[in-house]
Amino acid sequence: METTAALRQALLADRERTLTHLYQHTFPMVRRYVQQHGGTAQDAKDVFHDALITFYEKVVGETLVLSASASTYLVAVCRNLWRQELSRRTRQPLVSLADEHAEVAEAELAEQPVLAVLEQVERLGERCKDILLAFYYFQQPLEQIAATHQYRTVRSATVQKFKCLERLRNSVRALVSTVTA
Amino acid sequence: MRPALEYLRQLERYLLGQPTAAEAEAWRVRQLVDGELAADVATQQLLYQGLQLAGRQQLRQELELIHARLERPARRHTWWQSATGPLRSLLAARRKSS
Repeated sequence: METTAALRQALLADRERTLTHLYQHTFPMVRRYVQQHGGTAQDAKDVFHDALITFYEKVVGETLVLSASASTYLVAVCRNLWRQELSRRTRQPLVSLADEHAEVAEAELAEQPVLAVLEQVERLGERCKDILLAFYYFQQPLEQIAATHQYRTVRSATVQKFKCLERLRNSVRALVSTVTA
Repeated sequence: MRPALEYLRQLERYLLGQPTAAEAEAWRVRQLVDGELAADVATQQLLYQGLQLAGRQQLRQELELIHARLERPARRHTWWQSATGPLRSLLAARRKSS
């Protein structure tokens, strides 16, 4: 069993490869469980993606210490999520997981300021978006971000990161002032 | 770094770093007396929330791509297997008959 620290390093170094490896080893078990308990392959995928996103955030954020393998942990989380989903469907039989995601999206729509930021992130341009997400969400070290984006020093990458943050801040402020004017 | 960027860095240190209790208290007091600073702190917090949401959205897209790649129906034969299939069948038949 690999340690949480090793898994974190692997996720930071090569996210796609590490997630693909986890996916290959874990998703078939999750799908089997969900399908044996009244769900579809689509339900299994939705539950698995929710679990993997939380798992990623906890592992890179160092708020999780695994006492079993990553696959065992993920299957257990998916089982719990699916049980919760089944009990929710018993209470609201006509709402599927996909519908629930749509409901969440609607709830998110109500949080307009955050959505305004989301919209502006998409308009930043690839380079700035990549740098900001790599640092603030994917939690990659600045050394890695500097290497990926071919900055000669970590300091240059740091300055660029704050320039991108400033651009985002200015565009969000402009948008908010237009809305409130 | 120019002053405007240095200011963002200070806000970041306060919001994402681990300020001591005394530092946090000093920031709280500064925000009480400086409405502009309080607004800037709120905006920066909002940016971090938006980036969290955008990151989650990107990770979900990446997982969709991984899923699509892994769940793509496997091709039964590679081009090499297809090209040499008749020859291999012939050789297998010969081995059986000999």
